[in-house]
Amino acid sequence: MAEVDLATVKAAKIVDARGSACPGPLLEAKKAIGSVPVGGILEIWSNDPGTKKDIPLWAKKVGHEYIGFLAGEGYERIFVTRKK
Amino acid sequence: MVEGKPEKIVIFATHGSEDPEKAILPFVIGNAALAMDVPVTIVLQSRGVTLVQKGCYEHIFAPGFDPLEKLVGSFVELGGKLLACIPCLESRKIAQETLVDGVELGKAASVVQEVLEAKAVLNY
Repeated sequence: MAEVDLATVKAAKIVDARGSACPGPLLEAKKAIGSVPVGGILEIWSNDPGTKKDIPLWAKKVGHEYIGFLAGEGYERIFVTRKK
Repeated sequence: MVEGKPEKIVIFATHGSEDPEKAILPFVIGNAALAMDVPVTIVLQSRGVTLVQKGCYEHIFAPGFDPLEKLVGSFVELGGKLLACIPCLESRKIAQETLVDGVELGKAASVVQEVLEAKAVLNY
């Protein structure tokens, strides 16, 4: 995994999945990744604590790269690079 | 898991509004699998047939999960297959016209075929 300073990452797209319960954020990520250019970063906002565990598994399975998460105020910002 | 088979899973849904959590979980897992590009068939048996019955499925909620109506909608939209048990529908006098669009109907052999084609089967 490449070293990325998440605090300064400029996402190509941000998906606000706050308020969405399991597995909503995963579905939002799937829908959104297609509109991110290959090599670009998708940022997912979620206040479901399970999302930061699910997204890395999802990314690995579908061929993208999970690059980490940042804690926001009452939610988490999860970052994935589109790889294909 | 059976090695060598294409990735496809089958999920049996056998609960309805009497146990909302068990009713919703097949669709939670089913949607997650579709998001992960894994084909899924949900087999609706027993009270599970009510999970695709209009007028019923809109009213099933469980804490911590999206509403069933939303999950059924996205499952169909993402290409998931729904297979409802014909005798289970008939015994409850549920007409095909009252089912969510896209539901397929089947009897025992259809279910056996689905299971034989699957890499893994989950039961709820």
